[in-house]
Amino acid sequence: MIKELKPLSSLAALLGLLTASGLVLAVYYNPWHAFASLGFIEREVNEGWLVQAYHATGTTLLFGLAYLFLFRAMLARGYRAPDDLAWALGVKLLAVLLLAGWLGFVLTGGAAAYWALVRAANGALALSGAAGAIGMWFFGGPAGEGTLARLALFHAVLGVAALAVLAAAYRRLKPKMSPGVCLDHLARFAVLALIFSVLAFFFPHLGQPAVNALPGDPLTLPLGTALPWYLLPLAGIADALPGAWGGIIGVVGAVAVLAALPWLDGSGPEAVRSRWYGVLTWVWGLDVIALGITATARDCPQASLLLALFALWYFFHFLVLVPLVTAMEAK
Amino acid sequence: MMRRFFAPLLALGLVLAGNAQAQDTLSPLHFQSDGPLGGIDKAAAQRGFLVYQTVCAACHAASALHYRDLEALGLTSDQAAGVAAGVKLADGSAATLDSPFKAPAMPASAFGGAVPPDLSSIAAQRPGGAQYIYALLTGYTTAPDGVTMLPGHFYNKAFPGGQVAMPPVLRDNAVTYADGTPATQSQEAADVAEFLTWAADPNLGTRHQIGLRAVIFFTLLSIVAIAARRGGGG
Ligand code: HEC
Repeated sequence: MIKELKPLSSLAALLGLLTASGLVLAVYYNPWHAFASLGFIEREVNEGWLVQAYHATGTTLLFGLAYLFLFRAMLARGYRAPDDLAWALGVKLLAVLLLAGWLGFVLTGGAAAYWALVRAANGALALSGAAGAIGMWFFGGPAGEGTLARLALFHAVLGVAALAVLAAAYRRLKPKMSPGVCLDHLARFAVLALIFSVLAFFFPHLGQPAVNALPGDPLTLPLGTALPWYLLPLAGIADALPGAWGGIIGVVGAVAVLAALPWLDGSGPEAVRSRWYGVLTWVWGLDVIALGITATARDCPQASLLLALFALWYFFHFLVLVPLVTAMEAK
Repeated sequence: MMRRFFAPLLALGLVLAGNAQAQDTLSPLHFQSDGPLGGIDKAAAQRGFLVYQTVCAACHAASALHYRDLEALGLTSDQAAGVAAGVKLADGSAATLDSPFKAPAMPASAFGGAVPPDLSSIAAQRPGGAQYIYALLTGYTTAPDGVTMLPGHFYNKAFPGGQVAMPPVLRDNAVTYADGTPATQSQEAADVAEFLTWAADPNLGTRHQIGLRAVIFFTLLSIVAIAARRGGGG
């Protein structure tokens, strides 16, 4: 049980930091002058730049850890009983974090953020029927200042939701405390804080698109997909499929296959380690990285073809390869 | 036209006079703000502000900066107020410490539609930062053979695409430095680049200083904690 607990405590520490720094940012954030208010926090509020750097770096580390832990669980097939519950909570947490991360990025009001919002809002509002109604409720109309005000609220609510998912995980896993575990936590905390300090003080804008340092401008469209690094693989999948529905299905599907992994693995809990499954999972990991890299390189002429191939492989891996390899093993 | 000397800039001169003459940072070109432990060279940034105010401000705004922010570069409150008092705003009144840097009065069509960008955080937006700004300001040459120039454009080897709507604005002695530093074109370019680096990231030096201490502290804590886990928790 302690095994699953280790990542949880790091994630909880980071989420706590994000909540605390987010509260400070929320005090000064002004959705009607989003970009200017972030400049105000950075330049005028006492230690505002520090709080901002904590929030940005906390996000980067949180996604880094969440991706690493899920990938490690996939490699070790930690999604099967008795750990299936931890896996389900992990995927849920990732889904909440992705949405909260996108919202947080959009709130910056920079050039990249502005256009990400315009695209998403226009896409959602163009949908017909119930989906369009949900889009209307979520964005409140075409992207504008009022949109940011409600998205700021959703961003905060999702942050609390992520804390709730973690709390649920704690309750399920019922950690025991002992001196050994405490020392273990201390060591983890120290190393995490070391990595955090290096990033926050020396690379505060790591993985953020540089165009976002410009204010959003309805008249100039930046080239390509400019999103923070942690959204890029998903953006790649969304871009590979045509139209607003393609994007929605791509994003929801990409997370849904992760959640469905315990059922796609046909080998049962007592199966031995499989070399093929390991190799395929590593290839899938590279595929995710390739999706992210290609999503930023949209001006390269082969990008659309590559994106389509990588996105196809993503789903092919879960829907065909994993069931096939694990079923062969089960015999 | 570039040599508009404001009376308050003489006040700025008083500050600068106290500082020693600049060290040679031009050959090879380097900035004190470079590198993981770099901080702002305040004397260079003060000189850079003089270049900004005398030359660049005719076309570029830097609306995220206020005159009071100059105190962070080593001006006293009175000196910063003196600088502000010499700036005429559009309505005819004088700027105060709390005014943002004055926006230039220019028709949008002045440069054939190429709007001079706000310089507050240009050093963070352009790849290469200070180095790029220096290269841009000193990069004007005659166009190579075979290049057809667009009307109202100048050939610049640092600018992406080579053709920039900004005229070459820096030349030797475009300003007079009160600290005695020779105001060569490259010195002016390097100083204004340092000033814009500070403008884009006013906390650069502090950030690096705190960062160094935090890294040392958490490295030691990590070593102790890992050793304790090996020894006691095992
Ligand atoms: C006569 C007006 C004028 C003056 C004076 C002027 N600029 Fe410019 N500047 C422009 C224009 C116009 C552009 C837009 C160029 C373009 O997009 O082609 C520009 C663009 C720039 C850019 C952005 C280049 C890029 O990569 O897009 C920088 C940096 C810059 N100026 C710095 C300065 C600095 C520093 C000074 C003072 C030493 C200065 N400028 C003085 C008119 C001016």
